[in-house]
Amino acid sequence: MRHYFPILLCLVACLLPGVAAAADLHPPAQVTAGSDFSIASDANGEGTFYLVGPANVSKRKVMVNGSIAVDGEEIEGAGRYTAILCVSGHCDSAAFFVQPDAPSRLSLLVHPSRVRVNAPNAISAAAFVFDKYRNMILAPQNVQFSATPREGNATTTTRSAENGVAWIRLTSASKEGPAKIGATIGKATEVRVVQQVASEACNLRIKANWISRQLWVETDPIRDCSGNAVPDGTVISFTKLDDSGKTTVDAPVKRGIARVQMPVQGNARISVASGVVTGNEIQMAGER
Amino acid sequence: MTGLGRRTLLVVAVLVTMGYQIHAQHGGPSLPSVQLNVDDLGPRSIEDLTSKSVPRDYALAWQTMARALAENRVDLLNGYFTGLAKEKLTQRIEAQRKAGIHVIYTDRGHKLTGLFYSPAGDAMQLRDNAQLEIQTLDGNTLLQKEQVGLQYMVIMTPGADRWLVRDLQTTQKH
Repeated sequence: MRHYFPILLCLVACLLPGVAAAADLHPPAQVTAGSDFSIASDANGEGTFYLVGPANVSKRKVMVNGSIAVDGEEIEGAGRYTAILCVSGHCDSAAFFVQPDAPSRLSLLVHPSRVRVNAPNAISAAAFVFDKYRNMILAPQNVQFSATPREGNATTTTRSAENGVAWIRLTSASKEGPAKIGATIGKATEVRVVQQVASEACNLRIKANWISRQLWVETDPIRDCSGNAVPDGTVISFTKLDDSGKTTVDAPVKRGIARVQMPVQGNARISVASGVVTGNEIQMAGER
Repeated sequence: MTGLGRRTLLVVAVLVTMGYQIHAQHGGPSLPSVQLNVDDLGPRSIEDLTSKSVPRDYALAWQTMARALAENRVDLLNGYFTGLAKEKLTQRIEAQRKAGIHVIYTDRGHKLTGLFYSPAGDAMQLRDNAQLEIQTLDGNTLLQKEQVGLQYMVIMTPGADRWLVRDLQTTQKH
């Protein structure tokens, strides 16, 4: 049995790929995405070299003379790579990590796209930091956020990205209009636009006039508490209480005001509301 | 053979047949186990439904990815991948096919840790500690086989009816 042992060992070594350490590979400890480098090898002669990475796989014949050159284009994706060298039927492998390049891209998520004025912490922005090959950069980086209203100066804040993400919450401005929300790292800037719209109507007031024997009730120009005109289409409810009972009529704001025609029997009380906001009440006598 | 022995044999035969049928219907790797830890997730709190759908959809993503890499089929990525993750995996599968290589993942499970859930709920970042067996084959020749514990940085975003993997990057454990 003792005579057969070396033969058995040799057979096992020949049958199991990778066990025979004929072509030891020694990749560098640190490799940056997109840079050329070489993998040292103890092997000599012709072999087949494989490189398996997160976004690329290559296979080629190589003549090994102490090292194998790897082109930067083969390692643009950051992450774990496996290098395999097969020489004379024996394969050896080594794994190594490719680190992302310098930050040069941002992916910016801003929410919502439309927001009411003066809404505290209503806008959120999250920025993801990437290199030029779109590898996420996990090392801490400073990201500068900016908010630029239609009129006025930009305000900026810097946040440190943790695990490649920096985020911020913002309060909307008191004036309606578009606001540009931006994020910057190095020379890379991403911008999203948030439309700030008027808030609830404020100080709703109505007046009534008889025109051609018809009673017309209309609002003053409707604005929010910051003086922004509420958007056309906002629904205003007019409620009339007279001898015929209670009637409510909804009318949309058109060119800043809402207007309805209301038939009246006897004395009437007319009030106005928009959402939860109520306005003044007027008293009218019946048809003249 | 005794009555008990025959019954045992029958049960075993039924189980084996069922197992074969399930495997045949599925036609690929089984669904890996995924545990999700959201203790440090923020700034948004995770919703009950999301805490169930994220690990379920991540497991389905890995199942389809393993099959796509083993069979060099790009079409399988459509279900659970989008954005950068889908682009990079598509590139890889096309390169694998060109080189005649395929890679077989045997999935031993994932421990997901929630890191960031955006205030608007439109993106989630997670760290995955995965236990895998990876076999690299050139045609039918096994080039390399390894058992590894790998760490992934994952970005998932909600789709119409599921969470999709948007970025999947292996990172070095420190």
